[in-house]
Amino acid sequence: MRQPSVIARRVAAASVSLVMAAGAAACGPKDNDAKGSGGDSTPRKGGTLTVLNSEPQADFDPARLYTSGGGNVPSLVFRTLTTRNRENGAAGSEVVPDLATDTGRPNKDATVWTYTLKKGLEFEDGTPITSADVKYGIERSFAPELSGGAPYLRDWLVGAAGYQGPYKDEKGLSSIETPDARTIVFHLNKPEGEFPYLATQTQFTPVPKSKDTGTKYESHPVSSGPYKVVRNENDGEHLVLERNPNWSAATDTERKAYPETIDVRSGLDSSVINQRLSASQGADAAAVTTDTNLGPAELARVGGDKALAARVGTGHFGYTNYIAFNPTVKPFDDPRVRQAIAYAIDRSSVVNAAGGSALAEPATTFLPNQKSFGYTPYDPFPAGKAGDPAKARELLKQAGHGNGLTITLTHSNDKNFETSPEIATALQDALKKAGITVRLQGLEDNDYRDKTHSVKTEPGFFLAHWGADWPSGGPFLAPIFDGRQIVKDGANFNTGLLNDKSVNDEIDAINKLTDLDAAAKRWGALDKKIGDKALVVPLFHPVYKRLYGKDVKNIVISDWTGVLDISQVAVK
Amino acid sequence: MSEALAAVETAGTDISVPAASGAHRFWRRLRTQRAALVAAAVVALLVLAALAAPLLTALEGQDPTTYHPTLIDSARGGVPIGSFGGASADHWLGVEPQTGRDMFARLVYGARVSLGVSLGATLVQVVLGVAMGVAAGLGNRWIDLILSRITDIFISMPLMIMALALLAIVPDSFPRPVLVALIISLVSGWSTTAKMVRAQTLALRNLDYVSASRLSGWSTSRTAVRELLPGLAAPVITYAALLIPQNISAEAALSFLGVGVKPPTPSWGQMLTSADVWYQAAPQYLLLPALALFVTVFAMTVLGDGVRVALDPRAASRLRIGTGRKRESRAEKAAQAPNAAAAKAAQVPDAAVVKKEGRA
Repeated sequence: MRQPSVIARRVAAASVSLVMAAGAAACGPKDNDAKGSGGDSTPRKGGTLTVLNSEPQADFDPARLYTSGGGNVPSLVFRTLTTRNRENGAAGSEVVPDLATDTGRPNKDATVWTYTLKKGLEFEDGTPITSADVKYGIERSFAPELSGGAPYLRDWLVGAAGYQGPYKDEKGLSSIETPDARTIVFHLNKPEGEFPYLATQTQFTPVPKSKDTGTKYESHPVSSGPYKVVRNENDGEHLVLERNPNWSAATDTERKAYPETIDVRSGLDSSVINQRLSASQGADAAAVTTDTNLGPAELARVGGDKALAARVGTGHFGYTNYIAFNPTVKPFDDPRVRQAIAYAIDRSSVVNAAGGSALAEPATTFLPNQKSFGYTPYDPFPAGKAGDPAKARELLKQAGHGNGLTITLTHSNDKNFETSPEIATALQDALKKAGITVRLQGLEDNDYRDKTHSVKTEPGFFLAHWGADWPSGGPFLAPIFDGRQIVKDGANFNTGLLNDKSVNDEIDAINKLTDLDAAAKRWGALDKKIGDKALVVPLFHPVYKRLYGKDVKNIVISDWTGVLDISQVAVK
Repeated sequence: MSEALAAVETAGTDISVPAASGAHRFWRRLRTQRAALVAAAVVALLVLAALAAPLLTALEGQDPTTYHPTLIDSARGGVPIGSFGGASADHWLGVEPQTGRDMFARLVYGARVSLGVSLGATLVQVVLGVAMGVAAGLGNRWIDLILSRITDIFISMPLMIMALALLAIVPDSFPRPVLVALIISLVSGWSTTAKMVRAQTLALRNLDYVSASRLSGWSTSRTAVRELLPGLAAPVITYAALLIPQNISAEAALSFLGVGVKPPTPSWGQMLTSADVWYQAAPQYLLLPALALFVTVFAMTVLGDGVRVALDPRAASRLRIGTGRKRESRAEKAAQAPNAAAAKAAQVPDAAVVKKEGRA
């Protein structure tokens, strides 16, 4: 997220919750056994897989989808230059080639990226896929009527800031070159070592210009993947996908595509989804969900039933829930007050409020506890399991609040178990032990988001969360801590208002790296350095538990999405 | 001062409003309805429990906000450890899932909010409804028209949507229970009370005794206070008794929607909100506040119905006590009987005397 516009940032904010919804869909056995459940575990072709979701696949157009790693259902229809590795756990957070032969060849300073398409790629109608189709797909995502995607392309591509899409400007973007039918070259404004991650998003899907119907394209997008859309009712509420005969498994090492038909039904209540999956009757025996996880009460019930517990998958997704401070509001301008709060919090009661130890892991680092993010364990203000009120009192005394302190904690009234009253009251109870009286200010969710993301109205002490568009430290740290990303009038995510030259410079330096492992290490070190400033207090990383039907086999859940990957699932 | 004196004067002389005997008769009629008596006892107990919440929880040794992480199973979503929600000698009704907060303490403190808000709201509804209804009924055509339209507007307002809108604009520092009570009473209840009172006023104002007071030169307000209000008491009290359970439910509904009292203050409606997903894993978490709400609303409704019957002469005539005339006449007879005997006795000697006299 380099210097995104105000609108782009809003979209990004929305995307976090979208990605979240996708991430909330985690499935797979606890031991991460890729073979799945049941006695006969060999996956076979055939059958119909039912997907029970709460959110519809709205605007099913590759230009309009905002996905992490190409999404789950979209990825069955839309192939991209690169994609996420379809493997369990940490291996699944790697970028791998999809349409391209590799993950991209950068020039020396990572400002020019070159891709070569594989041979034998075809659309669902049998016409070959060319680099011009990929270029056209990207260009049409700039059309105002096809908005919805991530803001990165507009920020990164040379001369793209004011581009209005191919319908208005037929010449297209000169920063994307297609020297021949299999080669595509991208020219960027500045070094971006993480370009391969971006190339997993659906905007990098080929779209044949002759078949483009503008805003109507979403009802029947031309497939490049193993399935084609045969039915799309109520803007993605009911989606039926059937096998695409022109997709060749030889060119696609990632998607398994076992079922013959995939029936996606959305608009369901989360409790209904979990009830149907646990009953697992009729077509629901071959059903999964890609956006609903088990809540604490459902987990308590499933935990008492061995047969059900065997059908629960566990997923991780890069996500952190934390306390945010605004250091321009008293008394949070005093680092000792912020540190005292960091010492006083009781992470175990916060974890319980978030659904217990099976649904949340206590966090002391801002970066998610995964290698791809560059996770470097640190705990600058060790509060232990249940808080250190004595240490907190000592710091408060030094700060001149020996007689106690009364502060206001702002939270959302939304029942999301993240920024909700449950978490706020758990913190209130813990801080009481350190002599801190917490008044709760609950806001309606939209109001809450507007207030906390505006420099002018930002409260001093509030609950926040952040998730990245791809599993790397860059999109996790830069929007929150890069001083140049403070937005004075508009949606601001640098809530700590940190503008530290050494931090900004390090962010630029890491973006130049094309060795993603080396970059990850430096993101981790930067996270530790920022953590000492106590501008945020990490609380927990969520864990996702997902039920699946009793006939479902070949469960794969990557750390990229935390979701059961439906391109791997078999129902026979 | 003079008016107060006049009021005292009239109270002494006005035989049409025998206050003491009215209350007596009301109690006599209520007393015969066993269900209403039980309901009254339940309501009294609930109010007592709510008032004595700090004492009761001190007796238990708990409070409604302290977390007990050791009493819940974190790995299983935070379900209470042990049977019946972890009920024990320390926690009489078990603990809340995910927090381990004491259920008994939360229930009795929740009663304070649920009962306090509903009773406060009822009071506002009655005062406002009677004022508007009497004013509309006694005022001229224009006053009646304007007040009646205002009432109609409030009747047609959707409570929940209005409440959500109002709660969003009122500053956070305003005490929540008071705000919730005000919202419930302002957007519902008072308007139907006003309509009912207006109709009753229109019926009463043409009765001879009201006309007489007007003709004798009493001001409208004095007529309203002295002549109309006593006649309105019965229907208004009856209506208020039925409004209370309605208000309890409204408070629960608002809290259920997350716009009621603020956490960590417990209320029954709020407990129901957080408990709704737990009905299978920890049923007592849902059942306890639901049961409390059910018992309260049911008791209030039965009591309200009893009050209505006791205040309505026609309904009361169906009670076994009748009008009391039979007993009165029996008592009269009984009182007359010795007199008659005495009279006879007195007569006899007299006769004898007469006889004697005659003989003599």
